[in-house]
Amino acid sequence: MDAEATEATQLMTRYCAGDAAAFQALYALLAPRLLGYLFGLLRDRAAAEDMLQLTFLKLHEARASYVTGANPIPWTYTIAHRTALDELRKRKRARVRLTGDGALPSEPAAHVTGVPVETHQDQADRASPEATRQAVAALDRLPEAQKQALLLTKVHGRSTAEAAMIAGTTPGAIKQRAHRAYLTLRQLLSKDGEPAPRLTKEAP
Amino acid sequence: MKSDELPEGLPPERLAPPPPSANLMAAVGQMRPVRTRSRLGAFAAVAVAALAVPGWVVASHALRRDLGALPRGWVVAAAALWAAAFAVSLGAALVPARGDVLPAPARGSRAGLSAVLALLVFGLCASVEAPGFSLRPEDVHMSLLGSAGHCARFALLMALPCLAVGLLVLRRLAPMGGARLGLALGAAGGALGGLVLHFICPIATAGHVVLGHVGGMALAAALGAVALPLARKR
Repeated sequence: MDAEATEATQLMTRYCAGDAAAFQALYALLAPRLLGYLFGLLRDRAAAEDMLQLTFLKLHEARASYVTGANPIPWTYTIAHRTALDELRKRKRARVRLTGDGALPSEPAAHVTGVPVETHQDQADRASPEATRQAVAALDRLPEAQKQALLLTKVHGRSTAEAAMIAGTTPGAIKQRAHRAYLTLRQLLSKDGEPAPRLTKEAP
Repeated sequence: MKSDELPEGLPPERLAPPPPSANLMAAVGQMRPVRTRSRLGAFAAVAVAALAVPGWVVASHALRRDLGALPRGWVVAAAALWAAAFAVSLGAALVPARGDVLPAPARGSRAGLSAVLALLVFGLCASVEAPGFSLRPEDVHMSLLGSAGHCARFALLMALPCLAVGLLVLRRLAPMGGARLGLALGAAGGALGGLVLHFICPIATAGHVVLGHVGGMALAAALGAVALPLARKR
């Protein structure tokens, strides 16, 4: 278990024992990465923030299901994943979403990466708005399952076993989906004749 | 092409989150200590609930008339295989791996399918009849399919307590991959039905055992695979 997982495990244990300060620390530890994941799935910062709150509310209600000593990070991803899927299903059912005053909602801004935390500030700064727009558009064209696999394994660094548990499938299927997503993404991003810009990221 | 290279502009791994909402903080403010789950707790609870009805059936019904005439080693081996299929499938459906909170769906479907397959092979290749004691479907004035259907229904019935209690547990845990875990749960219940049939059903032909007993287990597995995702949606 890595240092972050160990810290999350200790915090979760204290949280289950009724320590509210441990909840705050757990939120500070996990919320940035869960928000990044939810935003990657939903492509809507406001919705991702709502789903983040809902994820932690569900975690709070389900804390008795926690197994003492287990790493809570993949579990929290699973809760976030299911929460996002429910939201995506709702969106599919609602053909047109109107705002409170009956108007059509505005399109999401082109600059959709949000504000990354300090550790990833450099990476975010290096991505040009045009590259971001293209990557986001390409990501949206991927099948849902491939997008999830790519985000979990390549962006969020989850192992294939963890990603399989989070997405509810087999490690083999996750590997295959992530690879296909990766190939499709590269193909989509290099369609204009120019090879897609590359950013090396540490493999999980 | 290296798999560790990503296109530029993908969403970042982390984003600065908003503070916890008032609702969330209110819930946390009112929290009390909770007793967390043990890895084997759900397994033990479901196993006890699942064994109650089949145990009563075996205790209250007459055992198959050819039981004494069959090779004792074979009777024990077959019973052990059915029991192992129950334990392995139920464990895969409910017990998380060490260090995990939730059971792994991939392990669930693998265990459930392997259990069905192992018993199918055993039924095909290792069914034993005791001449003069064991029955054939025609001895009870039934066709092969008729007798198999009768036993498959019985196996499904025996699987229901296991499925019902297991679904309640898994529905609360809300893991992803409900169909895979439901399959393992159903296979466990079906294996329990097969175990009961092993002791009370006197029809010993391979066709009957495969279609009726293993077929009932497969039906229970299919029922579990359909039921858990449906139960999750409610």
